[in-house]
Amino acid sequence: MFKQSSRVRHSQSIDRRQLLRGSAALTAAGWIGGLAGGFLLRPEWAHAEGPIKMGIATDITGPIAPGGNANWQVAQYAVEQINLSGGILGRPIELYLEDTASDPKIAVGNVRKLIQEHKVDVVLGGITSAMRQAIKDPIVNRGRTLYIYPQLYEGQECTKYLFCTGPTPAQQCDELIPYLIKKLGKKRFAMPSANYVWPQLLNKYAHKVIEANGGEVVFEEYYPLDQLEYSATVNKIRDGKVDCVFNTVIPPGLQPFCKQLYESGFQKNGGILSCVYFDENLLNYVPAQEMEGLYTCLDYFQALDDSFDRNLQAGYAKKFPDTKFPFTAGSAATGMYRGVKFYEAAVKTTGGKLGREEVAAAMDAGKLENGPGGPAEMVPGKMHCKMNMYVAVCRLEGDKTKYEVISKAAMVDPKEC
Amino acid sequence: MESDIKLAFDILAFTSVMVLIVLGLGVIAGMMGIFNFAHGEFVLLGAYTLFVFHERALPLWLGIVAAPLVLALVGLVLERAVIGRFYANPIMAMLGTFATGLVIREVIRGLLGGHYKAIPEPASGVISFGGVDFPVWRAVIIGTTTIVILASWFFLARTSMGLRIRGALENPMLARACGISTARLYTITFAFGSALAGLAGALIVPLYGLSADIGIRFLVQAFLSVMLGGVGSFQGPVLGASLVGGMAAGLPWLVYPVLADPLVFIIALAIVKFRPQGLIGKGRL
Repeated sequence: MFKQSSRVRHSQSIDRRQLLRGSAALTAAGWIGGLAGGFLLRPEWAHAEGPIKMGIATDITGPIAPGGNANWQVAQYAVEQINLSGGILGRPIELYLEDTASDPKIAVGNVRKLIQEHKVDVVLGGITSAMRQAIKDPIVNRGRTLYIYPQLYEGQECTKYLFCTGPTPAQQCDELIPYLIKKLGKKRFAMPSANYVWPQLLNKYAHKVIEANGGEVVFEEYYPLDQLEYSATVNKIRDGKVDCVFNTVIPPGLQPFCKQLYESGFQKNGGILSCVYFDENLLNYVPAQEMEGLYTCLDYFQALDDSFDRNLQAGYAKKFPDTKFPFTAGSAATGMYRGVKFYEAAVKTTGGKLGREEVAAAMDAGKLENGPGGPAEMVPGKMHCKMNMYVAVCRLEGDKTKYEVISKAAMVDPKEC
Repeated sequence: MESDIKLAFDILAFTSVMVLIVLGLGVIAGMMGIFNFAHGEFVLLGAYTLFVFHERALPLWLGIVAAPLVLALVGLVLERAVIGRFYANPIMAMLGTFATGLVIREVIRGLLGGHYKAIPEPASGVISFGGVDFPVWRAVIIGTTTIVILASWFFLARTSMGLRIRGALENPMLARACGISTARLYTITFAFGSALAGLAGALIVPLYGLSADIGIRFLVQAFLSVMLGGVGSFQGPVLGASLVGGMAAGLPWLVYPVLADPLVFIIALAIVKFRPQGLIGKGRL
């Protein structure tokens, strides 16, 4: 199999070309079917106390690979930025990667390697909730290590030493749904959903917000994840005079659903499609005309035009030119960036102490002045963070899609734990 | 009334997709006695061919025509290189085709970076007919499926090549004794079945979007269709696919969608229990 770790380990320093080669090999490894030996990125210099070891456990292969690879690239980018500016209090970060392979069974073993073999100081990663549930025990309980989960998710994760840096249902719904009802005048909602935990818990929260704002849920329905035929659903939407579809159907069911909804003339007749996991990357999954007028709410959009976010996009594009894995909110890229920076800030606060208790206590009061989409701030005792949330609508320019950010809510509360 | 017509059209459209996919599988299984586990990936390759045409900004219609030709070629090479060695041992053939499919699927996944890709329909929009809108591309699929069924049936049942194919299947020894090259006929049959898969892939990908798993999603239901219809005839799999496709599209109107999926299997397996030979028994072409 691959001997990437040994190859990188022998090199004295990492330059851009080697990194490119490394990430190319990584993609190649995805073809073969897994990273047998893990992956290690050594910093360029050493410190008397040794490096700070950061473990990334994410889905490099399997169905979740597009998100996982984006996560790994963002981690590399964020850590490189920190190391270039002198590390954390002079100590460089050493980055370890283990592939969780979109499969919780494989993940548990590989995560153990991070903890037992590499003895990392913190683990970041996991994208699906099933993955988080599988790896949190080996990390937090048996591994006695700090864990940072970066993805937007359904909430209700209140484990000590587990910090969530992505948006929660409250953050995604509290701005979007009142906007749909009050500003756009939509009242009758349909909730077609994929049948797993995220849509179920998100819908539960969204349901409350819809009703609190004077809207009505016409139907809430769950489908197998790979259902291909939605004529029954589209018919219900038509018969029920639904004017807003709050969609949580995910690929591969997403594409046939969007097509059948579009073909039924739903949007043409004034209906609105909204979908809170839809970032710029997802827009490529569905033909452009079917996406026109889609409303979403996320913590970051590439269209944001402040200097920090511009630099972030430029830096990421420079490090990973022509990448297949862009920096977008839906694939946990923003949460990963925030997670790395929160950890950096926490270790600075402890004065370089890496003990779990000290770092967790510092994380609990963590504040980031700058991050993707703006500042972020941990809510003390809640293991979740406040962040800016943006409502955006998809516009068509020629045959290309583009998000236009139409409203910003500053430092929205996650309302968890 | 209007919604009844729409319902009928939607079910017919999905049934056509199912039949189109099952046809190639059924031809190979029925005529050669081989269950081609790489069939889903042949569908994928057909879809990928259309994607390549889309990326290069070539006319999509050309891609639809090219896909079956490309797949015929792939089928030809694969039959000669791999499948042809397994006729004596159908179990090994299953594993061989499974491995082939796995390689194809993971290579395409790598090429796509694991992403989904949207491919536009070569003909989009709706035609209005008596106040009801019909999506053009679904109508094209229904039309093409009908033509393909008739043409395949004509080819296998009414031409001399078809007669030789059936003869070689029925009794290879006797066929060889009559001077028919069975090896060559098997290659042709396999290439023909692959071409049908390629066509199916190119036609359906605008509806579902391209991903490495596009074929896999249909494969289990496709096998069920062949089992249900009966191996060994041409009509069997077509009938089986119509039933499975019709149920998959129709049941969500009647029961909870999460129940529809398993229900399709339960009903199909119940039928197979009482008619183990399938709806249409052997060799009545």
